Amino acid sequence: MDDGRMHDGNRTDMALISATGLGKHVEGPTGRLDILDDVSLEVNAGETIAITGASGSGKTTLLSLLAGLDLPSGGSVRLDGHVLESMGEEARAHLRLKLVGFVFQSFHLLPALTAEENVLLPLELDGTPDAPARARDALASVGLRERGAHYPYQLSGGEQQRVAIARAFVHGPRILFADEPTGNLDHASRDAIADLLFALNREHHTTLVVVTHDPAMAARCARVYDLVDGRLRAHAA
Amino acid sequence: MTGTRHALRTLRREWRLPELRTLIAALLLSVIALGAVGTLAVRVQRAVVMSAAELIGGDLGIDAASSLPAVFMRHAQTLGLHASALAEFPSVAFAGDRSQLLSITAGDGAWPLRGKLIVAGPRDRSRVTHAPAPGAIYLDHRALVSLQLNVGDRVQVGGMDLVIAGQLEQQPGGGDLIALAPRAVMALPDARAAGLLGAGSRARHRLLVAGSVNGVDAYRAWAKANLPADAHLVTPEEVQQRLAVAFGRAGSFLRLAALLAALLAGIAVALSAQRYARRKTDEIALLRALGASSRFAFGSLAWTLAVPALLAALIGAGVALGLASAAFAYAHDLLPASAQRAPLPFGPALAAACVGLAVLAGFALPPLARLRSIPPVAVFRRNIKLAPQRFDLLYALPVLVALGLIALETGSWKIAGVLAACLAGAALFTTLLTFAILWFIRRYAVRLNPSLRLGVSALTRRRGLSLLQSCAISLGLTALLLLAVVAPALLDNWRRDLPPDTPNWFVVNVQAEQRAGVRDALDKLGATHFNDMPVAVGKLVAINGVDVERVPFRGQDVSQEASQQVRLSWNCTLPPANRVIEGQWFAPDTRDAQVSLDVAWLRRFDLELGDELEFLVGNQRVDARLTSIREVDWSRFNVNFFVMLDPAHGKALPHTWIASFYLPPGHAGALAAFSRDNPNLSLIDVDELLDRARQIVGQVTAAARWVLAFSLLAGALVLAAALTMSAAERRHEAALLRTLGARRGQLRMAALCEFGLLGAISGLTALLASAVAGAWLAHAVFRIHAFSPPWPPLIIAAVIAAAVVAALGLAGTRKVLHTSPLLLLRR
Ligand SMILES: Nc1ncnc2c1ncn2[C@@H]1O[C@H](COP(=O)(O)OP(=O)(O)O)[C@@H](O)[C@H]1O
Ligand SMILES: [Mg+2]
Repeated sequence: MDDGRMHDGNRTDMALISATGLGKHVEGPTGRLDILDDVSLEVNAGETIAITGASGSGKTTLLSLLAGLDLPSGGSVRLDGHVLESMGEEARAHLRLKLVGFVFQSFHLLPALTAEENVLLPLELDGTPDAPARARDALASVGLRERGAHYPYQLSGGEQQRVAIARAFVHGPRILFADEPTGNLDHASRDAIADLLFALNREHHTTLVVVTHDPAMAARCARVYDLVDGRLRAHAA
Repeated sequence: MTGTRHALRTLRREWRLPELRTLIAALLLSVIALGAVGTLAVRVQRAVVMSAAELIGGDLGIDAASSLPAVFMRHAQTLGLHASALAEFPSVAFAGDRSQLLSITAGDGAWPLRGKLIVAGPRDRSRVTHAPAPGAIYLDHRALVSLQLNVGDRVQVGGMDLVIAGQLEQQPGGGDLIALAPRAVMALPDARAAGLLGAGSRARHRLLVAGSVNGVDAYRAWAKANLPADAHLVTPEEVQQRLAVAFGRAGSFLRLAALLAALLAGIAVALSAQRYARRKTDEIALLRALGASSRFAFGSLAWTLAVPALLAALIGAGVALGLASAAFAYAHDLLPASAQRAPLPFGPALAAACVGLAVLAGFALPPLARLRSIPPVAVFRRNIKLAPQRFDLLYALPVLVALGLIALETGSWKIAGVLAACLAGAALFTTLLTFAILWFIRRYAVRLNPSLRLGVSALTRRRGLSLLQSCAISLGLTALLLLAVVAPALLDNWRRDLPPDTPNWFVVNVQAEQRAGVRDALDKLGATHFNDMPVAVGKLVAINGVDVERVPFRGQDVSQEASQQVRLSWNCTLPPANRVIEGQWFAPDTRDAQVSLDVAWLRRFDLELGDELEFLVGNQRVDARLTSIREVDWSRFNVNFFVMLDPAHGKALPHTWIASFYLPPGHAGALAAFSRDNPNLSLIDVDELLDRARQIVGQVTAAARWVLAFSLLAGALVLAAALTMSAAERRHEAALLRTLGARRGQLRMAALCEFGLLGAISGLTALLASAVAGAWLAHAVFRIHAFSPPWPPLIIAAVIAAAVVAALGLAGTRKVLHTSPLLLLRR
């Protein structure tokens, strides 16, 4: 799995996420569409950063490149020293399993599994021992101890997102990517979800990369970027 | 973890998904159809083969066209074996003004040596016995009923008055399982004395021996060396083989019918798998995003299908065994008594399970395998489309599976190709017809009613799906209609199509000196259209100088057929209903012997014009050159022959005459006196033979009809699968229409129109397809020139189909109609 690892550098002074000159374009019906153009970004371990921007500005695209879900048309992404473009899809999948957790705007819980089984998923993928106990702990820490046996359709939106967060951190990833995690939620739930995410950062030193429309949430991050015309601009704090 | 646990966990909820249920139901259906038919066919075949020794009536037999020299009997006795002689022939029996064609076995006092002859006496006590003493006869129940006689009465056979000494309950057959006529057993000396066994009598003579294995082996070796030219050995193994071949063919036909059902079910599998794949897209994308290896993702997907599939295949095999046992129990009185001990075979049901799984794999794999190209970014984009592939080799898989399975069944890729092409042709035909009907309705009928318009637009919007459904339903229905409605009509028509005075009686074994007298006597009885032909019985011994036994024929059965006796005839002019298609009919008084063959015979033995054929008739040899090839219209019921010699050389052979004539129905009683005056003649009633043949065909097609009902069920499954495919879309449409103010009744009406139309289209296509196929069969196979398909039952069937499809469709969309308009807001 270490095929993309840079051996020349010292891992501790290197940024956990490092993107240089990222570009992404797709071929549309009306010709080439440039979504991202020369985006560079460094995120250190334990940092919190927010990415904001208009709808359709390319935030999700950037997130998917940073997490190695997709490959850029140009430029390079290094995740914990691994050069993503030089790895195969299987190797990237394994890296994601070890290193990252995801929270999505539309929760993406598997409808056929209970809340607890959804949380179990990353642990089982990794073959972790005492997985059920850890999954129950994770559920308890998002305040859903009693709801483990419930199926997603039996939970409210806010509760589903809390299960999703439990699933995202249960295996102790060093990075958590969240794509508009509160976009589908009401005010009260929004604050609860944001609290949970920042608590993770505080207690487990988890690096947070959050795409959000919510100014309150962005304000709680150490750094805020604006994505405009395919380019990343640091937001005046 | 390779995904097994994940799969089981997912299944706990997913087994309720309609597409998985349809998929499993389709698999169950395939396995049950294939398994039940396969099990039954094998069991019946085994049962019959098991009783082969009993069917011969001894350990070894010698069949001959004439009675065997006495030395054959004597030699058996010197070897310490039991021996018995018998003859089998058809003849008409008379009682008062009634007559009945019988299939008669004349045996000596020792017959049978193996197997049981069971006869019920006057007071209904069954006993195991031997052939009756001279002057007596046993008749089976059918013969007694049709002649209105009882045990103890008298009956006239071959000019003799015989006492009915018992009712025949069971007898060793001559290898014919299904008697064409009611059976009778009489004494061999009587038959001989009456002259019923002459050279031209169509009687089959048989000598049977039984005893120690060594004795029988020694006798076999001796007999082989001393066999007369017109005789051949009959062993239980040979009879077994012949029966196995015959049953193999019938079974193969039924299994192909079951395979049609399985392949149609395959379409339901493919549709369900596609729906399931669509549902699983998100899950696969998410698993990949979370870092699952593709082995995990696809392993779990494979397990979610494999677990219920394996269970369903096992259950299906079990149900198939049960069904086959029930059918066997139901049909047991059609089989010889000892046959009922045949054990239930498990192989065919297991094979059916495997074939079902192969169909499942072949049809479900392509849509599921395409999930491999789902990129993990798809978690962010619900609407991401699978990269459209110009030519996906995977979609050749179901075609290959279908071809392979048909080839496996028929044992030939060529036949498989032809059958598959026929299926494809039928599918193309239904597709075109469906297109045309849809176009027509859209163009002209939609203005009628808004609900109808909605229904039609639903059909045309999902055109691919509509086509698939109507194809599947109408293919199943066509096969069923063809067998259940068109085939019986064809058989009826075949007889009716003949001129009303087509010969309906044959009389055989007419000696040269009897010819004129027979003709006069029949004329006096009111018989018309008298026509007689000479017949010599012989054997083909060499082709182009090569001994027939050494000619490399196409198969074992062809070689065996070549060694059997041949009837030869001759005539100056080409007989009616014959057409020379190659070569020249005989010139008068040719110097060298010439022969003319029917094209079927020619093809069977791979002969061609100019070949030299050597026949042995009695102790005379004829070396004849093949100078013409004829096509005979066998449906005309004239006396016709596969092999005809030139008259100059034919005349010189020992021969008798066979005559055909027409006697108006109901006058058969008048033949009683004729038969008494000419005891050596055998009369054969063609009408009765045909009735019996029709009855047998009826029984076989009835069995096939049940099998084809499975394909109709498969058609219904395709409908169900298509409904699950479109369910989400339908729900959305219904919610939208409800929001716009549509009443539930209107939606129901639209659904009724949609499925009623679908059913009507399928019914109409099946109706037309089966009518066209029937017309083709009538023209090309039965040579019926004015065949009119049986429209009323076909139309009724089509209407019923439309109603059933409409009802199924309505039932399947019931939930959709109750969709709340709120659905739109929640989405
Ligand atoms: N695979 C793709 N094909 C075509 N267009 C795409 C694709 N991926 C993203 N886009 C387009 O790129 C733009 C950015 O998308 P996205 O990253 O989802 O924006 P955001 O998350 O900021 O709303 C959108 O206009 C989207 O339609
Ligand atoms: Mg987005």
